[in-house]
Amino acid sequence: MIGRTAGPAMVDRRFAADAEAHRRDAPRFCPRCGGGLGGAGIVTEFWEADDRRFYCWCGGCGWAGEVTPSGPGVVGHEPEH
Amino acid sequence: MLTAEQNDELTQVEAGTPMGEVLRRYWYPVAFTRELNEFPVKRVELLGEFFALWRSPSGRLGIVPEACPHRKASLAYGVVEADGIRCPYHGWVFDADGECTEQPAERENTAFQNRVKAQAGKVEEMGGLIWAYIGPMPAPELPRFDTYVMEGFRDIGWADLPCNYVQIMENAVDPHHVEFLHGRYFEFVGRHEGFTAPASFGKEHVKIGFTPFEWGIIKRRVLKGASEENDDWKVGHPLVFPYNMRVGGGGIHQMQIRVPINRTTTRFILYTVHSPDGYEHVEQPVIPDYEIPVYDKDGRHVTNYVEGQDIMAWVTQGAITDRTTEHLGRSDIGIAMLRKMFREQMDVVADGGDPLGTIREPHERIDLPCEKDKFHAGGAQFALDFCDMGSTRFSPMLDTIKKIHISAADKIAVEKAAADS
Ligand code: FES
Ligand SMILES: [Fe+2]
Ligand SMILES: [Zn+2]
Repeated sequence: MIGRTAGPAMVDRRFAADAEAHRRDAPRFCPRCGGGLGGAGIVTEFWEADDRRFYCWCGGCGWAGEVTPSGPGVVGHEPEH
Repeated sequence: MLTAEQNDELTQVEAGTPMGEVLRRYWYPVAFTRELNEFPVKRVELLGEFFALWRSPSGRLGIVPEACPHRKASLAYGVVEADGIRCPYHGWVFDADGECTEQPAERENTAFQNRVKAQAGKVEEMGGLIWAYIGPMPAPELPRFDTYVMEGFRDIGWADLPCNYVQIMENAVDPHHVEFLHGRYFEFVGRHEGFTAPASFGKEHVKIGFTPFEWGIIKRRVLKGASEENDDWKVGHPLVFPYNMRVGGGGIHQMQIRVPINRTTTRFILYTVHSPDGYEHVEQPVIPDYEIPVYDKDGRHVTNYVEGQDIMAWVTQGAITDRTTEHLGRSDIGIAMLRKMFREQMDVVADGGDPLGTIREPHERIDLPCEKDKFHAGGAQFALDFCDMGSTRFSPMLDTIKKIHISAADKIAVEKAAADS
């Protein structure tokens, strides 16, 4: 087969810090059953505005949900009035 | 983003890996029926392993690992005989159950024969394709999805792509790409090459949704100018776990098949059935297949047709895309859901269960949900765009196919006029 493709699983050096932050911050344990998410579950990180969100699934108990680190502050909302 | 370990686990296909074990619970198309008509034995690669596939003169199909249990010569160069495949090296014979039935140079010795079974899989023919199952027995039923068994004119395009199948499957839960890859980008290519890209592909997405169901995930979209009442949302179309996507519209039914040949090679098959309202049966003694172009003579991707654009995207993501440095957004939530589904099924199989979409009851036909009025573009127009702008453009049957759609539409119009008058 001709053509050019990137090599297998080449790590994109520009974003090594993001990969590292993911490894550091991705939830490790299920909030419901406390089982490990690394082996028996899966954690996919996606971003939304300033947030980092972790879509988690626990293979131990079936819990699925999003975890969003909030930092020290919290934000409320003000309905229109 | 995933960790490197999770990306590794997700993309494995080899025996003994969690995902490789899931993949071994499904049937795969491994040849076209016409190939075994032309020559009765074929070397097949599937899930990173090689096999000899054959059909005996009586029509019996068989598949065994390529290496002869004797001294490993290739059975894919074997002699097809009435009751099995004979190794070209010393003439041992294996039948479709993998039993060794002859060892010409050995003394009458059934005990030895019984000790050298060739681990056969199961093989069936359906819809012009030869399907194989190479997982643990008892084999599940071959799922008879609607596309393979329905009435209509069949046409099969294919290409072997140098990338892992998971990134192709992730595309099946990525509705948003359509408006760019097949909309804006198509329009850009068209402007430079002197053609007009189909307008319906560029419609903006207003809303996307995903629903797990018994065969995989139903993907839904609301396009600008439409509502949740349109087929794109109300019906949607499914990712059929773990390696297919069912699409269609305008009298066209298609299964997009992505067979994991090995970890970094995927056979992409577009199995298309043209059966518009008003279709009149056309005899097809041989179902045609043709290779669709991936690269041009300069080694650049051919991107002036829909699937060529998808192929470009999948292949340029890398042989195994690096998910440790991707940057997903909310619009990629279907991808997160698919990864969860893969992960879930690894556990099901590890616990000894049947993964999603395993069927053990004999059945005639499995109907999959699929929108009829796709992109609310109007039936016949969608069909003709589909033929000209998609891989069907490369079909040796293109003219016949277009005629089928036009004459079916004419017939319906005449019938309608008669009913109205
Ligand atoms: S915008 Fe999605 S891969 Fe570039
Ligand atoms: Fe696409
Ligand atoms: Zn849990």
